[in-house]
Amino acid sequence: MAQNDTSKIEIKDVGRTFPLNTAASTASREFTALKNVNLSIQKGEFLAIVGPSGCGKSTLLDILAGLSKATTGEVLIDGVKVSKPDLDRGIVLQGDSLLSWRTVRKNVEFGLESKKIPKQERRAISDHYINLVGLTGFEDHYPHELSGGMKQRVALARALAYDPEILLLDEPFATVDALTRENLQNELLRIWNKTGKTIVFVTHSIEEATFLADRVAVLTANPGTIRQVVEVDLPRPRFGSDIRSTPEFGHIRHTLWQLLQHGGAHA
Amino acid sequence: MPDRKSAIGSILLRSSGIILFLILWEVSSRLRWIDPYFLPRFSVVITEIVRLIADGSLVSNLAISSARAIGGLSIACLVGIPLGFAFGRWFPATAEALDPLLRIMSQVNPFLVLMASTLILGFGETTKFVVIAWVSVWPLLFYTITGVRSVDPVLVKTASSLGSSERGLLLKIIIPAALPTIFTGLRISAGITFFILVAVEMLNASSGLGYFEHNSAMNFEINSMYAGASVIILLGFFLNRFLIALERSLFAWKAPVDFLLGSVQATTRKNRWCPGRFGLAAATLIIAVLLVGGSFEINRVNTERAQSLAGEDPGKHARHLGSEVGK
Repeated sequence: MAQNDTSKIEIKDVGRTFPLNTAASTASREFTALKNVNLSIQKGEFLAIVGPSGCGKSTLLDILAGLSKATTGEVLIDGVKVSKPDLDRGIVLQGDSLLSWRTVRKNVEFGLESKKIPKQERRAISDHYINLVGLTGFEDHYPHELSGGMKQRVALARALAYDPEILLLDEPFATVDALTRENLQNELLRIWNKTGKTIVFVTHSIEEATFLADRVAVLTANPGTIRQVVEVDLPRPRFGSDIRSTPEFGHIRHTLWQLLQHGGAHA
Repeated sequence: MPDRKSAIGSILLRSSGIILFLILWEVSSRLRWIDPYFLPRFSVVITEIVRLIADGSLVSNLAISSARAIGGLSIACLVGIPLGFAFGRWFPATAEALDPLLRIMSQVNPFLVLMASTLILGFGETTKFVVIAWVSVWPLLFYTITGVRSVDPVLVKTASSLGSSERGLLLKIIIPAALPTIFTGLRISAGITFFILVAVEMLNASSGLGYFEHNSAMNFEINSMYAGASVIILLGFFLNRFLIALERSLFAWKAPVDFLLGSVQATTRKNRWCPGRFGLAAATLIIAVLLVGGSFEINRVNTERAQSLAGEDPGKHARHLGSEVGK
């Protein structure tokens, strides 16, 4: 793990505490969401973070995005400390993050507007990414006219549109049905294959993590810390194949499951 | 063409109550269930409305009332919306601290404000604007604060990650996300404005629909009284319809959901009437004409009255008429 020269993201001793508002007159108490998180992510790697709810995985992603600050430690991207959000990272958050007063196209172009890219160029770029996520023909639709899966595709296209080197995804497929979910996972792998982005994917689904990732970081709660990083040495490309029914897949899935179970017993 | 058929059917169904009511009105008066002197027939009232339009008095009073309502509401918007943004976005702690005060202020009855304002500012137009602005500012203020504060944090986070500045956040996220809620506040304000205005004009004016109504009643011009009342009711109804239509066209991006007697009907965008650009421009023009025309009309009526009063009994009403006398 010491190949610091090729690592894209370096997470060093990151901890995050939140003050607790207690009515009691005792000294101010704190909730430790993350403690001593160390992780290095390679360029072009697909890393998944799994853990039970409340283990701080979304907090970690917020810190990577620069939306929240670490209480201790630091995050380096290409050796530079992260202090604020920037366009080298694209994020897709949990839930409905589309601007409902903008059409699909205008949603995808949102990041390009703050980059001050001229209109015609914006249009060409949004056309490209709308096509990439398979939504050609829906450019002028409003979010309420789309299904849950389509909305997440738009959010993905929006994050891809300004061509960030890193994609940070926080349970992006949590709210769609199982079938749509598998489709979106395949699409994501296809897009990753095409674009070679570095992806950090937060999920609570062991299955999803196993199917998508090169490595899976298992987080345990109270305090949120990395229990183990598991290598997923399944062959690629995985999209379009029934890799989920192979014994190797089942084996890794089981390993992750055990890690999470054990962590649960601990807490 | 089952669609068109059901549309006509639905219109008929929904106006059946109104038609039934009007028939009952006409019949109850004709058959003398109620003394026709106290409840003139519907047809008589319609004739009276036509007469009042023809002699100009209805139009004049309508313009005057509209100008007062639009003026007062505009003041409320200019105060309430920016203040709501400031409280909701930049000074939430201040808003929290001032909340009890604001809630108490919002409970101050407009008629108490009318009395105090009459003492301080006299019987002039300013008093009317102050009272109207007073009642209509609260929903605008509270709804704006709520709208600004309830913007989904996911949107703010996403926009920040997409490189939005504070200004960009305000213009591209906070304002559009809060606008529907603010508009709800505006609709409530417009509704109350209209109710209060008529009452204020009954108590404290020598022009406007409320005055017309009160004057007709006091002089036992019962046909005029019913005619005026009908016009006031229709005006309130159309004002509400107009605001709903405006809401639909401004927020066409929202999932179209109509609430009808508790059941939720999802309708497609096509079969709902939305004013287009032309409709909005026309509406703005009408509002501007009412405001300007009404203001001139107020001036004219007040000057005329001041002159006639000055002629018969100089000095007696001078205090009541406030600044208009000086002109």
